[in-house]
Amino acid sequence: MTSDKQKKSSDEWHVMSDKQKSPNFGVRSPMSQVGFAHRSSLVTRHYSCHFARQSSLTTRHCFFWFGVLAASLLAASVARGDGPRKPTLEAIGNEVQCTCGCNAPLNQCPHLDCAQKAEMQAFLKKEIAEGKDETAILQDLSLRYGVQVLSTPPAHGFNLAIWILPGVGLLVGLGIVMVIVRRWKRKPAGAPAPTFAANDPKILTAVEEEMKSTGLG
Amino acid sequence: MNQVGSVGLIASLAFAAYALVAGAVGGKLRSPRITRSAERATWGFFLMVTLAVVALEYMILTNDFHNAYVAEHSNRDLLTYYKVAALWAGQEGSLLFWTWLLSIYSALVVWQNRRKNRQLMPYVVSVLMGVGTFFSLLVFFVANPFQELSLVTSTGSQAFSAPDGNGLNPLLQYHSMVIHPPMLYLGYVGMVVPFAFAMAALITRQLGDNWIRTTRRWTMVPWMLLGCGILLGGNWAYAVLGWGGYWGWDPVENASLLPWLSGTAFLHSVMIQEKRGMLKVWNVALVILTFFLSIFGTFLTRSGIVSSVHAFAQSNIGPFFAVFLAIILFFSVTLLFLRLDHLKSEHKLDSMVSRESGFLFNNWILLALVFAVFWGTLFPVISKAVENATVTVGAPFFNKVAIPMGLLLLLLTGAGPLLAWRKTSFRSLKRNFTLPLIVALVAGGTMFAEGVRNLYAWMTLFLSVFVLVCILGEFWKGARTRMRTAKENFALAIYNLTMRNTRRYGGYIVHIGIVLLFIGFAGQAFKTDAKGLMQEGDLLTVKNYMLRCDGLITGDNPNYEYTRALITVTKNGEAFTSMHPEKRFYKASQQPTSYVAIHPTLSEDLYAVLAGMDPDTGKAIIQVFVNPLVMWVWIGGVVTLLGTLLALVPSRVEREMAEMRQAQELAVQAGDAY
Repeated sequence: MTSDKQKKSSDEWHVMSDKQKSPNFGVRSPMSQVGFAHRSSLVTRHYSCHFARQSSLTTRHCFFWFGVLAASLLAASVARGDGPRKPTLEAIGNEVQCTCGCNAPLNQCPHLDCAQKAEMQAFLKKEIAEGKDETAILQDLSLRYGVQVLSTPPAHGFNLAIWILPGVGLLVGLGIVMVIVRRWKRKPAGAPAPTFAANDPKILTAVEEEMKSTGLG
Repeated sequence: MNQVGSVGLIASLAFAAYALVAGAVGGKLRSPRITRSAERATWGFFLMVTLAVVALEYMILTNDFHNAYVAEHSNRDLLTYYKVAALWAGQEGSLLFWTWLLSIYSALVVWQNRRKNRQLMPYVVSVLMGVGTFFSLLVFFVANPFQELSLVTSTGSQAFSAPDGNGLNPLLQYHSMVIHPPMLYLGYVGMVVPFAFAMAALITRQLGDNWIRTTRRWTMVPWMLLGCGILLGGNWAYAVLGWGGYWGWDPVENASLLPWLSGTAFLHSVMIQEKRGMLKVWNVALVILTFFLSIFGTFLTRSGIVSSVHAFAQSNIGPFFAVFLAIILFFSVTLLFLRLDHLKSEHKLDSMVSRESGFLFNNWILLALVFAVFWGTLFPVISKAVENATVTVGAPFFNKVAIPMGLLLLLLTGAGPLLAWRKTSFRSLKRNFTLPLIVALVAGGTMFAEGVRNLYAWMTLFLSVFVLVCILGEFWKGARTRMRTAKENFALAIYNLTMRNTRRYGGYIVHIGIVLLFIGFAGQAFKTDAKGLMQEGDLLTVKNYMLRCDGLITGDNPNYEYTRALITVTKNGEAFTSMHPEKRFYKASQQPTSYVAIHPTLSEDLYAVLAGMDPDTGKAIIQVFVNPLVMWVWIGGVVTLLGTLLALVPSRVEREMAEMRQAQELAVQAGDAY
């Protein structure tokens, strides 16, 4: 038995050592591998009772903290303003789109001799020279070129949906995951192992009929 | 050759339609004869589409400007490999190319499964050829590349041949553009194979692990190619568009990212089904979603529904795609609902601190990201429909939403693989995560002390260190055990460890690649740039680099005229490199473009663009960027590719199992013979 063990791959050894140190009841439990499958299942039942009491707490904690982490990161990211900053051609050029039809931010317009880009940059330079702040400049730009010039739509009315729905999507996703988990966990711990399709009487009857029909039965 | 191409197209349509019907009939009647006939029709489809592709390529390479597509997208002086690439430069050619790739995939599937999955195959063929029929119809009736160039006169229209063509779009004349669209399309089209198997499994109610095992590699390959295509597209944008970046959250870029993300979710969740018989409905749903998004990506790129810097062909094919997408969704979702009883989970979830829960979290975040990107990409269209307002959703929105989700995914990249199946004890968590956390904290502290103040960049680098230590620790623990028990040296231990379970360790290498990509992304936070007017003798300083213009030269070749800036660069006062950014003017298309000069290093790229000539002074407008860590994006991509290739190699355990199965089958056959 020992020599058999030594032949096992190192990754299997790694798994085994993990399981021997902690009550981890994987499908390939070390005891079942060396011929103690019955004992392993008894131990599994004993410990599963023990952990059933703890697992609901663990589940809630796990979901709660990961959910909090995800939601806070997203909320912080969306709410995070860039703070008061001195408007520059470079900074505002990333916040507005070029109007030449390239669908790129002003700074990234791929057209080298783009007349619209040059015109917008001249307008921006004038606004910056007049000492306007970024909000006022963006407002002037949207009045002059239309609201589509802004890289993100202003957050009011229907446009709020652009910001709200990703968060809603995240929460709905969490809800779906929780429903899945609850349904999985609701299955009785001692549920019998899934039967093979071949043991299903309906399928067996169908197989027999088909074998007969093909001359094999 | 136009006639030859048209014959190929109409014959391919006939073969596809026949295989679609014959496959379904063969499956329904369980007739091997009809099924074989459908499979042969698939071969016919492949041959006929190949004939059409060869005809079009022949016309492009021989400058046959009788053909309208050739006259529109090629010219005499175009380099040969760009002429080959002209096949997918326009609407008609790219749809033909899509159909050809589909025919190759279909033929490969038929050949690979000629002796296995016989109950699934009739329906697999039927679904593949259903898609083939749609694209053949589209190519033949709506976007036919075999139209003759005609001249409309007062007496009517008459065919004629142009003396030269308009040429390839200058933005497409870059080496990675020769390979980027094929990669992307191979990724998009390849997702049809897992979809076809999923549908066949649903129809035949064979929803065990068989279809999952069969399609795992068929999903990994297109996933890998799609990833390569996305990165090559980024490389093209970086080197050609001249704005100093490689990803701008453009609608077409997003469209390629969506199926990659949902495919990533599937490749993870499928492991839960294989190991634990869980998430069966979810996996089918992900396959449907991934295929849907692949077609949606093609639709977005080709329909012109959203404007994009990458959309090189728009037309009125949008409604056809919309109907096709609706059919796919209706057919697949209805089938899924009808088979819900056959998709019950076989096990219960034992603990939330387990590999299964790690995959669930991973799927949750990936799908939330898919939704956010999908929503942001389509919002301008929705806003137009609802409010009749034209709005733009650009990079600031996507960065705000995607970066936090990306960071959570990065965390799971390291933490997930270290969780055990079913349940992980607290002691195991402590043992596995203490060292990575300590190393990451030390690295994070050091970075903060070194002046890294950007929160996202700091978090990315902190998590990258954490994940790298987690994954490398897995290699080290496995190798150490082998060194002790099998008396192998370190290199041999790593090799044997990896080859024994290629899927697991290939997956770890893919995760390392993803970490390297994130490290590259973090570099964007430290980008600096400078702009100046330069002529001979002028200096421009950016960060610790000094650029000196040694002159401007102009030149000419058959394809384009150019102005080139000769720039010598010193770094910290010492000679560093020379750079030659160009501004080109393509003669055939009469369009200007830039040829960026890049000096890449592991720490940062120096990136120079000749943006134009100042009309007042006659000097060159030179823009220079210092882009930190960009090289790690490309390295990360290569590592991800290598990891995926490794995971595709059958592991020794798998081979031993296959040999055992084969021996058992032989034994059974021998028993039958007696």
